[in-house]
Amino acid sequence: MTTSAMTSVKRKAPRAGVDLLQIVRINEEIKRVVTVSFKINIMALNAIFLAKRAGTAALGFGVLSNELRVFSQDLRTCMESLTELIHACVGEVSIILQDIRLTRLLAEAARIVPQSAAPEILAQHDARNEMHAGKLSLLRSQLKRALEDAFQMVELGGVLAKSAKIEAAYGQSFALPLAQVSGEFDGIVEEIRGSLESLRRSPFFTGH
Amino acid sequence: MKITETIFQDGNHKWVAIIRDPEKPNFLVDTNEYLVTHGGEGILLDPGGAEIFPAVFSALSSEFDPSKLGAVFASHQDPDICSSLALWLEFNPKMRCYVSALWNSFLPHFGGTAETFVSIPDEGMDIPLAGLALRAVPAHYLHSSGNFNVYDKLAKIFFSGDIGAALLPPGQDGLFVEDFDKHIRFAEGFHRRYMGSTEAKRRWCERVSQLDIDMLCPQHGAIYRGGDVQRFISWFDDLQIGIAKN
Repeated sequence: MTTSAMTSVKRKAPRAGVDLLQIVRINEEIKRVVTVSFKINIMALNAIFLAKRAGTAALGFGVLSNELRVFSQDLRTCMESLTELIHACVGEVSIILQDIRLTRLLAEAARIVPQSAAPEILAQHDARNEMHAGKLSLLRSQLKRALEDAFQMVELGGVLAKSAKIEAAYGQSFALPLAQVSGEFDGIVEEIRGSLESLRRSPFFTGH
Repeated sequence: MKITETIFQDGNHKWVAIIRDPEKPNFLVDTNEYLVTHGGEGILLDPGGAEIFPAVFSALSSEFDPSKLGAVFASHQDPDICSSLALWLEFNPKMRCYVSALWNSFLPHFGGTAETFVSIPDEGMDIPLAGLALRAVPAHYLHSSGNFNVYDKLAKIFFSGDIGAALLPPGQDGLFVEDFDKHIRFAEGFHRRYMGSTEAKRRWCERVSQLDIDMLCPQHGAIYRGGDVQRFISWFDDLQIGIAKN
């Protein structure tokens, strides 16, 4: 048990540190997406007013702008749940990191005094470590699924932005400002898609 | 692994110094831990930092069952004093930690629950050990603002924490002070810089010089015994402290 615990500690220690770093990076990217999705909300509000001014020529554009506004709110809600999962991951990794230090020191004590209670306590520690590693693994899967949900949502956002571009063409005298707004929508949705793509490729999920 | 030296024994009453780990990395300050056992019970004075836990644990295990360690005493809150607390608690979750009331909500950051800590009031208290009373003697501001030493009237041993500490060079790290004048040079810088209150120092010297002490045991360095105990108190009384170069 002592040897396996020591081996396990040596294996887990750098991994947990790397996990924490990757989680921090994911969190930063999520914060970026939240900021950008807030921008869509403001832009969508402006687009709704513009469509109202354009009247019947921009009815479709108005509907799509409203949908984009709903999309930005849904995206922020989705990012909030991702943030909650990230916080839970940070909690688990922190426990694992703390346990790794204690396990290393207990393993050393158990190696020197194998006849003491240290090996038994070490075994309990190892079991706790495994439990937290299991929890982290579960959170990792949940986070991956939530990220896929967010990606699907952004696909829809992309369709809305492209439809808005088409609708802008029917805006008669407002065609130019509507095209400009819809172009900005498209650009921002693409930016979010890029962020989510990079999150998908995070070594936290791929293990590389 | 650290070395254990029995520095006092009378029947079932015993003091064991846990000292000098040859495998300790140089960047960690060397510390002395003291195990006091009486009537089958044990208390560890300044259990040490987390990184040296395996060395202290193994040394202590050679003398005493660690799961029967009923208490630890922390002279103050520093990491080299008691950051190993969580590890000792693994062996006996009911273990108590005696510490100044100033630190009982700070030390749980090292481990333990509300039940773990026994607050020592500023004036000190008796710490029970199987019918024996060890006296927690105030040593505030020397160097910590909530600081205690331990006096064992039966063994005539005074655990002085950081007071009397010396940072000894390799090769000059015997358990006892053999040449006071030579030794005290390694203690001087530490005392001048770490001890902050002249008034507190004066009171401590007055208080401690009235006690019947055979050995004065610091947490770092060598043990003062016999005439060197009074010699140290006089030296400390005269020393100018609380001054930094800049």
